[in-house]
Amino acid sequence: MTRSRAIGAALGRRGIELLILLFGISTLLFFLLRLSGDPAAVLAGDEADPETVALIAARYGLDQPLGVQYLRYLGSVLTLDFGNSLRSQTDALALVMERLGSTLLMAGLALVVTALVAVPLGAWIGARPDAGSRHAVNGIVFVIQGIPGYIVGLLLIQLFVVELRWLGSIGNAGPLSWILPAVTLASFLAPKMVRVIAANTSEAMAEDYIRTARATGASDWTLLLRHALPNALLGATALIGTQFAFLMSGSLITEVIFAWPGFGALLIASVERLDFPVVQAAVFVIAILVSLVNAVTDVAFSLIDPRLKGATA
Amino acid sequence: MTHMLPRLRVWTQRMTGDWMIWSGGIVLAILALLTITLGLNPPASAQTGSLLLRFQPPAPGGYLLGTDQLGRSMLARVLAGAPWSLGIALVATTIALAIGTPIGLIAAWVPGWPRRIIRMLVDTVIAFPSLVIAVTVIALLGRGFWPLAMVLGLATWPIAARVVYAEAMGIMKRDYVRAAVLAGVSGPLVVLAHVLPALRPTLMTMFAFTFADMLIAESALSFLGLGVPLSAPSWGNMLSDSREYMINAPWMLFVPAGAIVLAVVALNLVGDGVTARVRRSGGRA
Amino acid sequence: MSLLSVQNLRLGFPKAPGAPVVLDGIDLEVAQGEILGLVGESGSGKSMTALATMGLLPPGAQVLSGRITLDGTDLTDLTERDWRRIRGGEVGMIFQDPMTGLNPVRSVGSLLGESIRRHQSVTKSQAADIAEAALRAVGIPAPRARLSAYPHQLSGGMRQRVMIALALVNAPRIILADEPTTALDATVQAQILDLLRDRLHAAGGLMITHDLGVAADICDRIAVIYHGRIVEQGRTTDVLRAPRHPYTAGLLSAVPTFAGRGTRLIPIPGQPPGPTARRIACSFRPRCTHATEQCAAVPELIDNVACHNALQPEGAL
Repeated sequence: MTRSRAIGAALGRRGIELLILLFGISTLLFFLLRLSGDPAAVLAGDEADPETVALIAARYGLDQPLGVQYLRYLGSVLTLDFGNSLRSQTDALALVMERLGSTLLMAGLALVVTALVAVPLGAWIGARPDAGSRHAVNGIVFVIQGIPGYIVGLLLIQLFVVELRWLGSIGNAGPLSWILPAVTLASFLAPKMVRVIAANTSEAMAEDYIRTARATGASDWTLLLRHALPNALLGATALIGTQFAFLMSGSLITEVIFAWPGFGALLIASVERLDFPVVQAAVFVIAILVSLVNAVTDVAFSLIDPRLKGATA
Repeated sequence: MTHMLPRLRVWTQRMTGDWMIWSGGIVLAILALLTITLGLNPPASAQTGSLLLRFQPPAPGGYLLGTDQLGRSMLARVLAGAPWSLGIALVATTIALAIGTPIGLIAAWVPGWPRRIIRMLVDTVIAFPSLVIAVTVIALLGRGFWPLAMVLGLATWPIAARVVYAEAMGIMKRDYVRAAVLAGVSGPLVVLAHVLPALRPTLMTMFAFTFADMLIAESALSFLGLGVPLSAPSWGNMLSDSREYMINAPWMLFVPAGAIVLAVVALNLVGDGVTARVRRSGGRA
Repeated sequence: MSLLSVQNLRLGFPKAPGAPVVLDGIDLEVAQGEILGLVGESGSGKSMTALATMGLLPPGAQVLSGRITLDGTDLTDLTERDWRRIRGGEVGMIFQDPMTGLNPVRSVGSLLGESIRRHQSVTKSQAADIAEAALRAVGIPAPRARLSAYPHQLSGGMRQRVMIALALVNAPRIILADEPTTALDATVQAQILDLLRDRLHAAGGLMITHDLGVAADICDRIAVIYHGRIVEQGRTTDVLRAPRHPYTAGLLSAVPTFAGRGTRLIPIPGQPPGPTARRIACSFRPRCTHATEQCAAVPELIDNVACHNALQPEGAL
């Protein structure tokens, strides 16, 4: 199978998964809303009187039979019409998209921080895993891995904002304010990355091809950086793809803690307020985002890993 | 010559694996004991406190872990919160494994459509951030111990299924399993008598790690106000309370954070210890 | 005028439990343009000899005494820096398993190029030309195209040719080959052996093998090693046709041949002693059918045989 056909097949598969996901989520949301009581009452809010509820029921077609509602619902989902936010009366989807950039910014920064920390540290540990210093560092990483990411955030705020007063903790106020949220989000991924890279590196260093390379006169540095690490990182990068969902979950809490104007915070706020259209739009966007990232990782992989490049000679 | 070195490495691995299981296990046992004895019957200072005594810093003679904004004893509260946080995590883990294991086994055993459907379903769900689902469902269905435990468990079973599936596929390639199949042993019996026992270490590590994840998830949800009822002293709620008073009383943050980290690290130790032990003995001694 | 000279080499793991001694006083000479075979069972110490010549001893292993000299240069007290110059430059080594010996994420060309530019001051494109020539010299078709190939795209025989090219590319003065054909199919083995015979004769070669057939095929002289000592050495035809040490004789009668169908294979009873075993008497004594009281003393290598009761050149005792 040539490379392009392989990529096409992978993308096709991701596409189908996305459709299933979107379908499943929509149906889930549809029935959830109706399970929790009269959806019209939910949408109208706590203080609404029966007339308002009836109006809303009519407006949203909630007085129709269930089957009809479902079909109309699916229809509107297909056209990406999520309605207006119940709170601000603006288009739900637009609201979500507006905030998407901030979330992606923080996620990107977190990935950069993770890479900057995990790759050197993991390589260093993996190069000589039996040395005493490595054991000590391994222990530290292990404990840090046991600290849930959002607690790291709270601790960082306690230290840098409350005690030291070096940084602020609210929102997106310029590059300085990016540091704590990015580090917090990175702490969701980094410890595991360090351990995976360290394990992969020490495994790679024990492989026969390292011995072959050493027999051609390669220095320890060269062996580590140009022979072992590329193999080690290959496996580690695969991890990022699967951890993206975890990263998204992490950014939900991180955005709340730091009052970061991303769409995770929007989702949480909307969920609390039962602002259903926004919730729906946000969940949709997340689903598409996740599928996109998975698809990109698949493609990137087939480009990077020579073994996947498709058979030639 | 070089066969000497693996023995040395095995020795260090053996020691590493075992001490990890022991130390993690002891901590967990202590936690369980405290939960069952003091946690379920907390002293009154967990619920009520004197406003005169609010924000007492931790003192060896008085309140060991300090008091919170209502004068309640942090020590009592964190103990009272244990049944909530640990209990929810336990139930959720049990649900996740109880559903995920059979499904993973089925996917491994039955090729063709069942496997394809299960795989696609599992892959799709895993790719999606579980917290998002949990948050949405909780908001609509209500808070509380059982709703939370069930939602978390139901959101996590695919991960368990995927792990069981991968492990079972590997186990089924082993010669003794293939021999049993060839000898005509019926499918379910092979699974029960051969595959399942070989899965034991995997199930143990999965239990430990999933428990840790569920604990973190519960506390995260409670922290966001979407978990247990706001009055319950779950560790997540305590963390949430601490946010307002970070300047006055940092111990309000450290105490529940410490409890969570302690439990999670102990669980990770056990999980990694079992893994190391398995790696060392190629099966489970 | 010898190319490689090993003098009374003792090598072991002094800090490991039992302080195993892997080589207990080895003397070897490889002359220019000659292929010396080092024949022995696993654990006899033959690979260690080659590794010592490259400075590639595993952690914990140390040269306890003796010298290794390459073309006059003493190799025993070199810094790591000097070793890096020698490995791949003056000495080339071919390893056993081609399936795992090449880095899966590096192309053949990049592996060769790295070694070339390390030992020769050439530009990138000159290095590519040299690499291409090396691939051609080991019999790989379409060598230019192969430079961008990855190991998984090549068959086992091809990969071993690449490993050979890697060892040869900087025109080393001597080539060490550690069981280079053991992991290959029989038909491919023959081809690779032909290639090796050619290339190793060009400079000088040390061929390590447990397979007497391989030794017979390409080695000019062989040395038989047992429990870390040379027990017999000489011209291949001489040693194999008329072995004088009971161990060598034992090895030969344990080899199945097509002649003499129906004759029994006579394995040598027992196991060789491990590296921690002390060397007080002749190491082969427990398994030897010709042992006498003299064998309570360690036999010296006299007249190319280390045996108190060496079989006479005519064949019978």
